[in-house]
Amino acid sequence: MAYGFSVFWLPLSKAIGITDSAPDDWKVSTVVWTYKLFFVFLGSSAALFGGWLEREGPRKAGFIAACCWGGGFLISALGVYLHVIWLLWLGSGVIGGCGLGLGYISPVSTLIKWFPDRRGMATGMAIMGFGGGALIGAPLADRLMKHFATPTSVGVWETFVTLGVIYFIAMMCGAFGYRVPPTGWRPVGWAPPPTQATAITTRQMHVNQAHKTPQFWLLWAVLCLNVSAGIGVIALASPMIQEVFGGKLIGLAGALKDLTQDQKAQVATVGAGFAALLSFFNIIGRFLWASASDYLGRKPTYFIFFSLGAVLYASSPFAGRSGNIPLFVAIFCIILTMYGGGFATIPAYLADKFGTQFVGAIHGRLLTAWSVAALVGTSLVDYIREYQLSLGVPAAHAYETAMYILAGLLIFGFFCNLAVRPVAERFFMSEDELAGVRRLAHEAPATAK
Amino acid sequence: MSHSEMGQRPSAASWVAVALAWVAVGLPLAWGVWQTLRKALVLFR
Repeated sequence: MAYGFSVFWLPLSKAIGITDSAPDDWKVSTVVWTYKLFFVFLGSSAALFGGWLEREGPRKAGFIAACCWGGGFLISALGVYLHVIWLLWLGSGVIGGCGLGLGYISPVSTLIKWFPDRRGMATGMAIMGFGGGALIGAPLADRLMKHFATPTSVGVWETFVTLGVIYFIAMMCGAFGYRVPPTGWRPVGWAPPPTQATAITTRQMHVNQAHKTPQFWLLWAVLCLNVSAGIGVIALASPMIQEVFGGKLIGLAGALKDLTQDQKAQVATVGAGFAALLSFFNIIGRFLWASASDYLGRKPTYFIFFSLGAVLYASSPFAGRSGNIPLFVAIFCIILTMYGGGFATIPAYLADKFGTQFVGAIHGRLLTAWSVAALVGTSLVDYIREYQLSLGVPAAHAYETAMYILAGLLIFGFFCNLAVRPVAERFFMSEDELAGVRRLAHEAPATAK
Repeated sequence: MSHSEMGQRPSAASWVAVALAWVAVGLPLAWGVWQTLRKALVLFR
């Protein structure tokens, strides 16, 4: 749902004026801070509480995530009802962001332990769920706001309360449905392939050792660069296609600035459609690429993301200049599958390199790359566009330099991925240390039935 | 059989639970996908 929160910005900016913004109403730029807080606290809480999650188990983490996310909605509802902005930020941004972080990482290590033969597919489904939530949450929130809207209310606080209750119940069902497999569990008939043949370690690394290895930081860079490229496009997808193609989107000649207000509204609808299509490809890429990585291998999968991605970003200005809308749309749809695929494949990549014992916690720390990428990617595309416009470049071509720079980021990511090698043995836990960690985590050993 | 090979054939009750879980997740997701694709259709008109 975090991705779908943008449906609230306009109604929140008219919470007092109802039909139009009143002088005391919040500005969109003020309420949008909730979104930034989401991702800062998502990354921070995942990094801080990942170790605790591995010790206490996913059920407790899922329970707290449900309380934070559902409770955050209720605090935000109070903030909207009383028109106190810091309550909105605290509820959805800070507390909700912590719930997001814990909820995001809590299924990862459990799934990897249940599906040692299909790590990519299993975590791909979980991470697809995070993105897929927006496909359900955004239209649902839109309908609820219309249902609750009255002459004296835009319907936001009532929608927050409803969503808070729905999410709390749904997340609680998920949390209490968690079952952690006994140590060493594996499916019938499956044996781990030899380490030399697959580059998948059978050893286990403590979370506190992971960041001391070059592999952690190389994978941090791999995630950060892949996300930076994609997130900049997601943030500006709708205005980008409108400015690049202008009236052509509705069968008219002329740039966007030459259109009437009515025509601009029609073009904006097409822009929103483009953004929706990208979100769909972002979601399916999470499942498809992560599943494919079980067969292709994690490193080759990221090689595809970085090489094909760089070619596609560098080709997009050509598609824009040629006026070929289907080609332009297809390029960005493929790019977005790889953006989602990058998110979904990274937990399995971490498990391959660092073992499964602390993969949830290590993944949590790696998510700080997401927080950095969210700032870098969106700012990069936005500032370069502004700079190009200030130089007198037509709006239709103002994104081209940014696309070449994003292609450059992916080429850099290609080399970071190339540099990832198996981790040195000295970083892994000894058998005694591992037994101690498992005792602390109350893990049951596997026994034959 | 190794002591760590714990995979068991699921019972009928497990299959029902799995089917219910998929319905609970799949139906809202299918609705969300449909809503999204409907919104995206304007691109192809």
